[in-house]
Amino acid sequence: MRKLLLSILCVMAAALALLTPALAQSKGKVYYLVPTLLDEFQTGSVSALETFLKQVGYELVTLNADNKTDTQQSQMNDVIALKPAAIILAAVDFNALKPGIESAMAAGIPVVEFDRQITSTPSSFTSVAGTIEIGHIAAEQAQKLLTAKNGSVKGKVLQILGDPGDPYTLDIQKGFEEKMAAFPDVKIISLPAMQWEASNAGTIAADQLVANPDIDLIFSHAAHLSVAVVAALEAAGKKPGDIMLMSSNGAPVGLDLIRKGWLNVEVEQPLYAQAAAVAAFMDKIVAKAEIKPGEYDIIGLKGVVTTETWGPNIKLPGAAIDKSNVDDPKFWGNLKPPTDTVKSIE
Amino acid sequence: MSPQTRRLLEFVLDNLVWFMLLAVLTVFSLFVPNYFQPGIFANIIEASSVLGVMSIGLALVIIAGHMDLSVESVAALSAMTIGVLFCSAGIGIGLKLQPEWLAVPVSLFLSLAVGGAIGLLNGFLIVRWRVNAFIVTLASYIWVRGIVLAVSGGRSAQDLAPAIRWFGIQRLGIDVPGFNFTVPLTAWLAVLCFVVFSFIMTKTPFGRHLIMIGGNEVATFRAGIKVNKLLIIAFVLAGAIAGLAGWLLAIRTSGATANLGTGLLFNAFAAVVIGGVSLKGGVGALPGVYAGVLLLSAINTAINLMGLPATSTQVIHGLLVLAAVLLDTFKQTLRQRLA
Repeated sequence: MRKLLLSILCVMAAALALLTPALAQSKGKVYYLVPTLLDEFQTGSVSALETFLKQVGYELVTLNADNKTDTQQSQMNDVIALKPAAIILAAVDFNALKPGIESAMAAGIPVVEFDRQITSTPSSFTSVAGTIEIGHIAAEQAQKLLTAKNGSVKGKVLQILGDPGDPYTLDIQKGFEEKMAAFPDVKIISLPAMQWEASNAGTIAADQLVANPDIDLIFSHAAHLSVAVVAALEAAGKKPGDIMLMSSNGAPVGLDLIRKGWLNVEVEQPLYAQAAAVAAFMDKIVAKAEIKPGEYDIIGLKGVVTTETWGPNIKLPGAAIDKSNVDDPKFWGNLKPPTDTVKSIE
Repeated sequence: MSPQTRRLLEFVLDNLVWFMLLAVLTVFSLFVPNYFQPGIFANIIEASSVLGVMSIGLALVIIAGHMDLSVESVAALSAMTIGVLFCSAGIGIGLKLQPEWLAVPVSLFLSLAVGGAIGLLNGFLIVRWRVNAFIVTLASYIWVRGIVLAVSGGRSAQDLAPAIRWFGIQRLGIDVPGFNFTVPLTAWLAVLCFVVFSFIMTKTPFGRHLIMIGGNEVATFRAGIKVNKLLIIAFVLAGAIAGLAGWLLAIRTSGATANLGTGLLFNAFAAVVIGGVSLKGGVGALPGVYAGVLLLSAINTAINLMGLPATSTQVIHGLLVLAAVLLDTFKQTLRQRLA
């Protein structure tokens, strides 16, 4: 009995000894307030941030707000009390989190805005592709597709938004429509798929195909909405290529639809680069050191840091994915994280 | 009031939701561009399939004097189960059975089993342990959705096995030159469910006993009817039917996402109430519930076609549903006066 007890104690001591160096190597805990885990982009962002931050020595803890603003506000308050090395925030509501950000900054905790740009108050760092810019890229692709089909930029576009209460989708809509406004021969029908729910997108597509059988292009604000749209097209007897499809965010489902011939273009948000940028600058963020504006190479992508009223902002370009480049491993939808280790920016 | 007038009034009140549906379809056909066409009416019936089936289970439990808030999450879990097993892309493992048609009964059985199991747990906690149905099923609404999220990791499954997807593509109806009114098999399945369960509720002892339990549980118990057993069966049925709704949902979207079915619970409750089922229990008929489902789908379709700003649609939707519910309340008041 005594021998057994001694053996157990030795094993525990060995385990503790192994742990201690690991703990000593961590530069601190970073909390990531993610808006939802019901979206592939957000789920992907958790694993990407976890991987890249670990490479530069930080431990990541994720809290899911389940798309509830009040939940995220409470999480922000709780995390501030824990005094982490930094907080990464992808806000459910861009403006409602402003007091929380200000409290954290006042408490000396750096706040990093991830993917959702908050311009109403300064943060330590912002890493975005730019949702309005995603809309712009989508508009450029729509113009190309309509020209290829109709000879010029004219025709009918069905734009399926996400939940209309989500500023993310409203920004994409804004970017898309402001670029398309230069082409008066394009009619855009915009409808929301409430709560980003796929079957709502399918219903919208089914109804609009009957009401407007001359729709040239369907643009969905998320790839998973396109899946339900394709299902509706199939049920209506359509084949791949009968109606042009485009979606944004770059999720694996979108790339699969391109391979199958249904989707023409997927506008990707550079998830890996956005997450890698946060990791690369994390030492400077935690140390509250100056982040100089300029161009930076972030895992092979050119990121431009500018100093804005809301603090240093890195913008990483989104990409248009089509059949010619769909298998490129740099697109997060192929689920092949970069093999190069992220290094802290000196 | 003459007996004839009284009979006519009672007929109208008994079928008010169908008259409401007719009125709504007429108004929308007149004032919403592109609404009045066979394809749109076929879409309304198709869009009603998932919500309709879900509402059957919910109605059973409400008529029995309880409630089940978990139906939406159960449908989502059922859809995700089918998605993971029988989808070949995303997180789907692409399970292939020989012969291929075997995927249909196997997937259907799994959906019913998943839903029934959760229904059994709900029923056991509510009936045996006497825990409040609202609390138990609210907890189920949360943890079952949590399982969907945990299983999927937030990712999607897509590209459902063709044998199962066939039900969403094959259409039945009238298809002649110049007139096409065909509806997918999934919608016909939903109609069949309504017919079967309407028969059960009106023509079988089980159905009649459920209504009695909803009206007065104690009196029903004292009459020698096995109340506990019947209630547990009702919850199992509600869960299994929600599982079937999930199967239909997976077919409709050719896969499953972690947030699939979000928002259906509210619509199911609205359809049940508009259909004339009393939230107090003991009152209601399933044909009315189907009319309520069609009414909600008709409103949704009108909103899809109206071209309203995206940020206004939820307000309009809610107000239209409120109008339908108020009309039903008016019906109850009128009925009491007649009595």
